[in-house]
Amino acid sequence: MDALELLKSKWSEREKDLPTLTYNDIYKMLLKKSSSIVKWIFAISIVELIFWIVLGLTSPESNKEFLTDIGLQPTLNVLYVIHYAVIAIFLALFYLNYKNIKTTDTVKTLMQSIIKTRKTVTYFVIYNVASTVLVLLYINLYFFSKKDQLYLLLKQGNDISESMAKENFTSVFFIAQFAVGVLLIGFILLFYRIVYGILLKRLKGNYLELKKIEL
Amino acid sequence: MNKELEHSFVTQLEQNQNIVHKICRLYTNDSDAHNDLFQEITIQLWRAFPKFRGDSKFSTWMYRVALNTAITLYRKSKRRVRTQDFEGVSFKIKAQEYDDTIEEQLSLMYAAVKDLNDIDKALVFLYLEDKNYKEISSTLGISEVNARVKMNRIKGKLRKILNP
Repeated sequence: MDALELLKSKWSEREKDLPTLTYNDIYKMLLKKSSSIVKWIFAISIVELIFWIVLGLTSPESNKEFLTDIGLQPTLNVLYVIHYAVIAIFLALFYLNYKNIKTTDTVKTLMQSIIKTRKTVTYFVIYNVASTVLVLLYINLYFFSKKDQLYLLLKQGNDISESMAKENFTSVFFIAQFAVGVLLIGFILLFYRIVYGILLKRLKGNYLELKKIEL
Repeated sequence: MNKELEHSFVTQLEQNQNIVHKICRLYTNDSDAHNDLFQEITIQLWRAFPKFRGDSKFSTWMYRVALNTAITLYRKSKRRVRTQDFEGVSFKIKAQEYDDTIEEQLSLMYAAVKDLNDIDKALVFLYLEDKNYKEISSTLGISEVNARVKMNRIKGKLRKILNP
């Protein structure tokens, strides 16, 4: 017999192991569409955290040496700790949002949870961008205040800067720093715009749908 | 919110949920995606419910809305990484009753159907549900002749996949 006909003849037998939902399960489904999106927000934020931690751990030794020599390492260490603490708090908030949305069973509280989640994500993005800008600004102002030492330190490690005059070096260094900084911030903005932007848009869509149901 | 309407909807969906589960199983590869699609279909059905006049059977109307939802959603997520979950493909048939080759053939056929494009899959699904071409054509909004021609083409395609 043809395999498709065989499948057709056995088709109804397969219904036995289909899942069965109760009246209440289905009723609640009219409300709970958002939990999978919030789950994604939670998951992506964890991946993001791991990414930054790994990046911090894998930065080259020479870089750390340089930062220690110029005296920036202690401050950076403190900043790292604060940064991770703040991210941990956000992580906890994302998790709570996820849990709340998952267990909500009225339209109204779900709508409130969605609004809350959207707010948390916005704050998270603002925090990340603002902290990057501030830290970059701080580091470069610090470098600028110690530009003589910076020149000497970089000269030791690099052959290229040897041929360069000090004045030239300072301007080239800070222009390069500025360009890299702008690129980095641009990249972060783009990343958030794409990843969280899509998720937030979907959440908003759900919210609007719920509003229709509620009316 | 009209409680009566809500009650009537949920009751009917509960009774006919098998149809939606079967569609979900065909269009998704893991239980999370299955549940997501079920939910999406539920919401689309609920939104369309006020327009359901009862001049066709609830289940007939459901086939149409549910398949449309699955097709639309599948289109949007075409670029998603596709993983194959064999749990959804397995057939729980007692080993004594059927030998392995039949079971294997069924699994392969099911996998081949799953691998079809979104529209073809909907057509095969209705065919497997034992719908006649008139019902298939009205559910999918194509002509009866078109449905027949398409189905024949798909049968050929499936045969080719299984016996290359």
